[in-house]
Amino acid sequence: MNYIEINKVYYKYRNAVDYAVKNISITVSKGELILITGGNGSGKSTLLKLIMKAIKPASGVVHLDGKNINSYSITEIGRKIGFVFQNPNHMIFNTTVYDEFVFGLKQIKKSIDEIDELAEYYLHKFDLYRLRNRNPFNISEGQKQLLVISSVLAMQPDFLILDEPTTGIDSTHKHTLINMFNEIHSNGTGIIIISHDNKLINELDGREIFMSQGEIVETY
Amino acid sequence: MRPDIRTKLLIVFAFSFLGIYYQNIKILFFLLLANILVNFLFGISFKVRGLKAVILFTFMIMLIQSFFIKGGTPVIEIMGFNLLSTAGLVYGIKILLRTYILLTSALILINSDKNELVLGLVKLKVPYEIVFMLQLAMRFLPNFIDELKITIYAIQLRGINLKQIYKKEVLSVYIYIFTPIMYSIFQKTEKLSATAEIRGFRYIENRSYYKNIKMRFVDYSIIFLVIVMTCLLLYFV
Repeated sequence: MNYIEINKVYYKYRNAVDYAVKNISITVSKGELILITGGNGSGKSTLLKLIMKAIKPASGVVHLDGKNINSYSITEIGRKIGFVFQNPNHMIFNTTVYDEFVFGLKQIKKSIDEIDELAEYYLHKFDLYRLRNRNPFNISEGQKQLLVISSVLAMQPDFLILDEPTTGIDSTHKHTLINMFNEIHSNGTGIIIISHDNKLINELDGREIFMSQGEIVETY
Repeated sequence: MRPDIRTKLLIVFAFSFLGIYYQNIKILFFLLLANILVNFLFGISFKVRGLKAVILFTFMIMLIQSFFIKGGTPVIEIMGFNLLSTAGLVYGIKILLRTYILLTSALILINSDKNELVLGLVKLKVPYEIVFMLQLAMRFLPNFIDELKITIYAIQLRGINLKQIYKKEVLSVYIYIFTPIMYSIFQKTEKLSATAEIRGFRYIENRSYYKNIKMRFVDYSIIFLVIVMTCLLLYFV
């Protein structure tokens, strides 16, 4: 069964002349890795918003794990899919790096021991442990991105959707990130990545979808 | 009809003042009708995002407030308990009409060109710093609303179900939501300040403007009419 199914979806932003996405149909199996690329304004982020239920399609339907996405609450979607937005500042709610990392883990009622273990692992992995008492708004944009990604990874969702995850990240940490993605993908977690980063695209082995002007132009 | 922004400001002020001044329901209703008519004459669109929600919300507030005002004859009585009285109803209707008068007046400005509004205020000798602040607020309000929406989505995706928060958690949830927004505001403020300085903000006392606004005969006529009608209303009613 397909995990995510987008079927003949159209969406137009308010006051826009043309559709942001036109007749998009994508099926994504559980555990699949998808890379979505395309120029600016091609509809990649709109696609993400449709899966996130942030916007409703003008026509067409989105299914998640066999059910219409409208039957899920946003919290339920978040439990199944870990989303990482393009701008990490929208996803930081706490005043220390450590509190920010454990925020989601507390919501899903992980034990203190589990939380500490995950925090040790991920914060060290992404070189954030030394910053654990810092205000996350005072670290670099790349470090914020790593913090947000690690905190979403730690929640161990069924699927990960990331919008430009390597923005502002140096080559060393990018390498760590790519290895992490490959590792979790091999463990069965599905991933959808929206990116312009050629290094990321070349080093991840998945289906590539190229979008232009709201439509899927090529799949390979 | 496209009157000058200064004419519109006077009309908005007149309606707002009269709406607050008068207590009589019939006069408030007449003022609301007159305000709506003015909006139609100016070609003002009532298709503003969120207007329906605001109207509904105001109506609900009116209803709730009415329940707390006692006096007059009971309208809704449940097991001897006076839930809603005529005094409460009258009070609620006055609040409603007054709010709608202010709302429809605000529509006149919302549908105006923001640059013209800034220019109009400057020509009315409002200090430019205050006008600039107002312009920035209008410019960034839609951004602020969008960021608020994104943040609310993000926090729900991280596991907080906003429909099921315990009372003791409400304050902490609000802090979580407003933390990234406040940071964003401070960040934007810093960058805006630097950008404005780089682009010569207040380098010269009297800056020039790309556009210009001019009062026409129709504007003076409208202003005269508004002043006369306001005075007549205040004198005779």
